[in-house]
Amino acid sequence: MAENDETVYICRCEEVSREEVEQAIRDGATTITGIKKRTNAGMGLCQGRTCRKLITNMLAGGQDPAKILPPTFRPPVRTVKISEIAEGDEE
Amino acid sequence: MTNKADVIVVGGGVIGASVAYQLARRGRKVILTEKHDHASGASGSCDTGIFLQSKNAGINLRLALASSELFKGLREELDRDIEYHVKGGMILIETAAELKIMEDFVARQKRTGLQVEIIDRKEASRMQRGLAEHLVAATYSPQDGGVNPIELNLGFAKAARKLGAEILLETEVTGFIMNGGRVEGIETARGPIYAPVVVNAAGAWAPIIGEMAGLHLPIKPRRGQIMITEPVAPYIARGMLSASYIVAKFNADKLKESKSRAVQLGVGLSLSQTQKGNILIGATREFVGYDVRNTHEGIQAILKNAIRLVPGLGSIHIIRTMGGVRPYTPDGLPLVGYVNNLEGYFMSAGHEGDGIALSPVTGKIVADMIVDGKTFMDVSALDPNRFAL
Repeated sequence: MAENDETVYICRCEEVSREEVEQAIRDGATTITGIKKRTNAGMGLCQGRTCRKLITNMLAGGQDPAKILPPTFRPPVRTVKISEIAEGDEE
Repeated sequence: MTNKADVIVVGGGVIGASVAYQLARRGRKVILTEKHDHASGASGSCDTGIFLQSKNAGINLRLALASSELFKGLREELDRDIEYHVKGGMILIETAAELKIMEDFVARQKRTGLQVEIIDRKEASRMQRGLAEHLVAATYSPQDGGVNPIELNLGFAKAARKLGAEILLETEVTGFIMNGGRVEGIETARGPIYAPVVVNAAGAWAPIIGEMAGLHLPIKPRRGQIMITEPVAPYIARGMLSASYIVAKFNADKLKESKSRAVQLGVGLSLSQTQKGNILIGATREFVGYDVRNTHEGIQAILKNAIRLVPGLGSIHIIRTMGGVRPYTPDGLPLVGYVNNLEGYFMSAGHEGDGIALSPVTGKIVADMIVDGKTFMDVSALDPNRFAL
C-alpha cells in the first residue's frame, strides 16, 4: 500500500491502513476474523484491543455494529512468558 | 448468481480453493460454496511448516514431493506473496528407542527419494541454538520448507476467481439433489446449484457433507492447539518437529493406552517462525468432536514440551493461542476420487495435518481425474472406496 502523511492506520500493531481494511471488505470479508485473515489486523501485540471497534464499525457500514459477528477470544488475556505458563501450577 | 456449473466444490479451505483453481485453469466452470469463509477451519489454524520429513515413505511422501515441485512456481502463478521458502527442517530425537524408529523411518524415506539424514546432537546444535542437552540426535532434510497458509488459501481462491470460478462465501450446503444413483447438484441456503460433479472438499466437516448423500465417511475431526509468540528476531532457523510428533501422528491408537496425559493429548513438538517473527509452537492431536477451544491443559502441555526440547524459548512471550480441527482418517491418507455407486460424487478430504503441504498436488490430481479421467501418478491408495462408505 502507498504510504504518505495521509495514511490512516486502523491497526497500529500490524500497521494496517484503512485502505487495506476496505479492500478486504471488497474481497468478501464480513467478520472481524475475515478482516484479520486478509490483512493481519488484530494479530499484533494488543490482539485487536484498539482496532476491533474501528473494524466493527467499518464492517457495519453505517448499520448496527451489534449485528457484526464478534471475533474469537483466545487465551492468554495478556502476553505471558512461556516459562511462566509451563511451570504454572506445578506442585 | 448463476446456478449451473461443470463442477461444484464444497469447502473453501486450502484444498477446495486449490481444486477450484486447477479446475478453472482447465477451463471448467466452477462454483465453490463455503459455509463460513476461506481459512475458517484447519487452513486458518495451522502452522507454516511444509515438512516432507513428516511423511511416511511411499504414497504420502511421493505426494509431498510432487507438491513441493508445484509450490516452486506458485508465487508467480497466483501472483501473490505466499511466503513460500525452503530452508530445511529437523526432527529432534530424545531417546535411543526413538532413534531406532527414526533410523528405519529415514531409510524408507530415502528409498522414496527424499534427501534426509541423521545428524548427531553437536551438529544439530550448530544448526539451531537453544536445543536441550538431553537430545541424542536429529534428522535433517534440506527439502523441508514453509508457507503462509492463509495467504496460500486466499491466493488459490483469488486466482480461481480470476479464471472465472464463482465463489460463494457464507453459503451453507443443506442437501444433495439426486436422480437415481446420480448426483445432479446441491441445495444451499441461497437456492439450488446444478452440476454433474460435486467435490466434497469440506475437510473435517466432510462427513457431514457425506451424510447428506448417505455416505459414512471415516473422517473424524482431530483438534490441534497451537501457541503464537510475540514477534522476535530470527530464532527458529528452520522448521522443527520432535520424533514424538511422528509417533503421535502415526499411532493414534497407542496414544489412548498411555498413562501420560501429554501423550494422551497427542502432544508433539512443531516449531516454525513466520516472516514477521512470530514463533508458532504446536501441537496437540485430540479427538474432542468439533470443539476448537484452547484448554489450559493443552496449552501447558505444549509449552512444557517445547521448553523441554528447546529451553531457549522460555523467555519469549505468548500473545495468542489457536485451536482448530483437522480431518483425521484411520490410515493417515486423504480420500481422493469418485465414490462408487454414486455417480458424480467426488471426494477430496481427509488430509489431517498435511493439507497445506499437499494442497497444490491435490488440486492438480482432482482436476486431472475430473477432466482427463486419469492423473500423472498412481493414486489408487487414495481411493475413497478403500473404506466401506
